[in-house]
Amino acid sequence: MKLVIAGGKGGVGKSMLASSLAILFSKERKIVACDCDVDAPNLGLWLGVTKYDKIVKKVSLSEKAHIINEKACIGKLKPSDCKFGALKVKNGKLWVNPFLCEGCGVCKLICEEGIKIEPVENGEIRVARTRYGFILFSAQLYPGEKGSGKIVEELRHYAEESGEFIILDAAAGIGCPVIASLRGVDHAVMVTEPTLSALSDLKRILKIVTYFKIPYDIVINKYDINERITRRIEEKFKEKVIGKISYSKDVINALVHFKPVIELENNISRKVNQIFKRLKEKLNL
Amino acid sequence: MKTYASSGTKGGVGKSTFAVLLALKLARDGKRVLLLDADVECPNDHLLLNQKLNKPISFTYQEFPEIVEEKCKKCGICAKVCRQHAIFHVPNKYPIIFHELCSGCGACKVACPFNAIVMKKEISGEIFVNKFNSTIWLVSGLSKPGIAETGLIVKQVKEYALNLAKEKRVDYLIIDTAPGIHCNVIQALLGADKVYAVTEPTPLGAHDLGILLSLTRKLGIRSEIVLNKAGIGDKSLIENVSKRFNVPITVEIPYDEELFRAYSEGKLAEFADKIKLVIG
Repeated sequence: MKLVIAGGKGGVGKSMLASSLAILFSKERKIVACDCDVDAPNLGLWLGVTKYDKIVKKVSLSEKAHIINEKACIGKLKPSDCKFGALKVKNGKLWVNPFLCEGCGVCKLICEEGIKIEPVENGEIRVARTRYGFILFSAQLYPGEKGSGKIVEELRHYAEESGEFIILDAAAGIGCPVIASLRGVDHAVMVTEPTLSALSDLKRILKIVTYFKIPYDIVINKYDINERITRRIEEKFKEKVIGKISYSKDVINALVHFKPVIELENNISRKVNQIFKRLKEKLNL
Repeated sequence: MKTYASSGTKGGVGKSTFAVLLALKLARDGKRVLLLDADVECPNDHLLLNQKLNKPISFTYQEFPEIVEEKCKKCGICAKVCRQHAIFHVPNKYPIIFHELCSGCGACKVACPFNAIVMKKEISGEIFVNKFNSTIWLVSGLSKPGIAETGLIVKQVKEYALNLAKEKRVDYLIIDTAPGIHCNVIQALLGADKVYAVTEPTPLGAHDLGILLSLTRKLGIRSEIVLNKAGIGDKSLIENVSKRFNVPITVEIPYDEELFRAYSEGKLAEFADKIKLVIG
């Protein structure tokens, strides 16, 4: 079983719910948690992990061009040859902007002797055993590097080799890392909140989820911040909505003390437990 | 013209809220402002201003190679040079191109000895222009769902916005970026005079702020910290990051449930007067 927690908009509560569901599932079966937000990996913090046990791998998944012989390029290579805008002329000299270079190699095809293509380290994959006993895989894209989608693929490979029941926490957005997190999963829990922004983003990511034919359910977090929009979401998605969680400052305070929300003694942990039960019914577990 | 970006790595920290409040404040101060919503995967700035996007004014494009069968000799060089592994070639067959893997770099076209590859443009996204009051222009980009590489869309939307900013002689270009730190964000940040790194007083906020400040340091862009939801959580977490990177906290947006409610309904403009946005 590969269960992904996603939602489109950031800050709606994906990692909050993913961490809670991971802890609850781990009491009943062997699970592996996988933080697919490699730009801003935060699932670990929700699970009390502040330090990873080890770096499993430094990932080198892309390449970058370097100019090694500028003279050889004169008259051959021009900035417009690079579709990504990475080739620039600065003070009369040809220059590759490393933050824009995709390593596609077009410049080297045009000027073989002037360009060298070299691999770069894009990020690292890390692992930690959480205090709940299960393993968490996480990765960090190095600032300024590319390839977050490819890192997610590599990260999932590690997580999926380590267990049968994987809980994946997706990033915000609907671009390459999110597509890489959704591909091939069995079920999705979409987290949203009753704001016009979150609803708009939810509709956008559902286009990808339905394209991949992934069955999904919806959780409305902070539902009481705007009950009118909550009703709109419920009317639109009907039985897909498997739970509503109220808005509370307690969540932020729990986070400051590295305490998962299900360890709080309040309405929020009860609601999360209900969502867990509904989800298990839906998944026939 | 000054260009300020609002970014934040973590989702939901208040990037769009700050960008919109800043645009409103500058407009109130009599400035002409262009607000660029560069979160093309999930653009929301128009919603915060209670606006519907107008009809698209322009499009963004991605190029994909196409094999001209009359010229193709089935040699397979195109597949060999493609570093994205987007071209599949079986001997004596025409190569097959997988659009979902293709970045549109054109290496195959450059390498083909028979000129048998042409690049065909396909629409990858839309560009919208909205007007708010008389001095705020809003340019929004919207990616076509399923397009993975949204960095190129941001690049084109930004080029459009820069031209419009010139034409309208705006004083400030405010760029609201996507969450994260990958290509779509880098494209949005490059060339900015200053990045406002928006965060919240939680361990997640502090962790992700550190990642963003590492990026802006690498890119060589000056940054300042915007502390959103000030008053709850633990401010010292953010002060520590501020010290570590030697980047000051110059703006604080107090925690206010009413602000969140205004946000939820797209009524940030009505609320803007109530918030004192002290820009250091």
